[in-house]
Amino acid sequence: MLLQRLFLGAWLLLALVMIGVGLDYQAPFSYEPVGPRSFPLLMLGLLCAGLLYLLINPTPIHRDEHEPELDQHGLRKVVLCIALLLAFALLFEPLGFIPASTLVGACLARLYEGQWRPSLIAGLGLALGLYLLFDKLLDVPLPLGILSVLGG
Amino acid sequence: MDTLNFLAQGFGVALTPTNLLIALIGTLIGTVVGLLPGLGPINGVAILIPVAFALGLPPETALILLAAVYLGCEYGGRISSILLNIPGEAATLMTCLDGYPMARQGLAGVALSLSAWSSFIGALIATCGMVLFAPLLASWAIAFGPAEYFVLMVLATVALAGMAGDKPMKTLVATLLGLFLSCVGIDANSGVYRFTFDSIHVTDGIQFVVLVLGLFSVSEILLLLEKTHHGQQMVQATGRMLFNFNEARKVFWVNLRCGLGGFFIGVLPGAGATLASALAYMTEKKLAGAEGKFGKGDLRGLAAPETAIGASCCGAMVPMLTLGVPGSGTTAVMIGALSLYNITPGPLLFQNQPTLVWGLIASLFIANLMLLVLNVPMIKIFTRILTVPNWVLVPLIAIITSIGVYAIHATTFDLILMVVIGVVGYLMRKMDFPLSPLLLGFILGGHMEQNLRRALSISNGELSILWNSGIAQGTWALVLVMLALPLIRIWRRRLVSNRAEGLVVD
Repeated sequence: MLLQRLFLGAWLLLALVMIGVGLDYQAPFSYEPVGPRSFPLLMLGLLCAGLLYLLINPTPIHRDEHEPELDQHGLRKVVLCIALLLAFALLFEPLGFIPASTLVGACLARLYEGQWRPSLIAGLGLALGLYLLFDKLLDVPLPLGILSVLGG
Repeated sequence: MDTLNFLAQGFGVALTPTNLLIALIGTLIGTVVGLLPGLGPINGVAILIPVAFALGLPPETALILLAAVYLGCEYGGRISSILLNIPGEAATLMTCLDGYPMARQGLAGVALSLSAWSSFIGALIATCGMVLFAPLLASWAIAFGPAEYFVLMVLATVALAGMAGDKPMKTLVATLLGLFLSCVGIDANSGVYRFTFDSIHVTDGIQFVVLVLGLFSVSEILLLLEKTHHGQQMVQATGRMLFNFNEARKVFWVNLRCGLGGFFIGVLPGAGATLASALAYMTEKKLAGAEGKFGKGDLRGLAAPETAIGASCCGAMVPMLTLGVPGSGTTAVMIGALSLYNITPGPLLFQNQPTLVWGLIASLFIANLMLLVLNVPMIKIFTRILTVPNWVLVPLIAIITSIGVYAIHATTFDLILMVVIGVVGYLMRKMDFPLSPLLLGFILGGHMEQNLRRALSISNGELSILWNSGIAQGTWALVLVMLALPLIRIWRRRLVSNRAEGLVVD
């Protein structure tokens, strides 16, 4: 309940900041009665009202019986996973698609309880296979990155 | 008679070799995506949009691909429900209840083929309903002006909350967030940059593929991390693969009833396959009474939700095509895809793009037939895919999702934005907020604002234009009904619990 209130509070704060930002939007020339700021402000206002209502009487969170409570260990894994995904996003262009996805793919596989060797093979296999499928077959251009010296 | 002419024309489009091939590929991809845990129709459709674009597919072919994937996903979702007792996605939860017990009794093959048959009938009924009602609705909707459109979209967003059942407020808040996010980017009317914080990457708004894949794929990856293996043994599909005539006859009336019901629920904005399957199951359970073995492997308990799912999927395309208002999360993504092609779904679509609309409808018939035929011979391969472990599946989802996002603008920014949105989506799911309404709000937001501003420009700022016409008044009345629904539900629950307490006191 406390966590939910914190989450809602942060969300409300953000929405209020957005209202502050949105108040400044004025059209330099206007041909219509409704300017650019009314609609977003209306939505934000309603959003704030809804969030306030939830802050005062939050609804209980339903949980699957399959899902265990998130503990220290689980939390660390979630943070690690987010870090890996961010790293993938940042490495995607500079390192190139194949090296980046081999690296991150193998690490992700490890995080989801694969063994080292199969994880590496899975990472490399996925990287190569998906590169061929998307770049060569489906015409979705993917960055070569450091491999471009090989003259792909 | 016009309708039949158009339908014939549509079959002409759908039966071209390319479109047939695309429909086949789409149904196959869809089935695989649907049966994998963690990937649903929303992700599947969203990832394929950039691919369809990159391949330079014409809009009708792209739409056929996406629709085939959508149908395939709903088909695939039930394979894991029946064999593993794990719903491949939320809508097939009800299929587990009787499908898994049937599989345990050695009737896995029968359960699979019978559910495919039910789904097929449901989809067939709904597609026929679509042929009958969609042109009618479209010709009626042409009378809508901007004011009426605005009210209709208010209705669609409110209906989400009204239908949501247990958490209307959270649904409403999620929808409002989506509506707000649609405002990000340059304002087309005045040229003002809104909420971009001077970043050039969001000047044309948040890309909806980024939003969809972040919300649904990335958050799913994070959720998969917590789900340890269920230790559920997969039931092998052996023995008789096909249901017999007697079994089909037993569920025939169930199929008809649930098909019609599912279609109408699918047409309602916001109430998708999940609600349809739950309602169908509950109704049939009540109708069967004491003689039913519901929950222990009753054929009707399997047929009812599957028929409803099949029907509601096709039904959801009716408001999408005729009004431009999505009936479900997946159709919202399809509207987004159409807008990439500069096609705005709405009543005029039937006049301006008849090949697109009728080609889509005709290919729905064909895709459903393909799925039914494919089901039996392919089932061995599909069950093999189910055994793919998480440590291969998750990198696969992560990499494909990133490719999908990268394919739109080829920027690192979009990839990072996707991860950030994914983390927010994960937190929201942890806090029990539904995500589909957010997506629907995001898709509806732009049209909603444009229509509001257009309406008020016509009336020169007079607000009364919003409720002056008869159509608008009728729609407002429906809005009020939708707003009242959760209140009525709470009130009734209180009444029931009070009565129960009273009984205890007596």
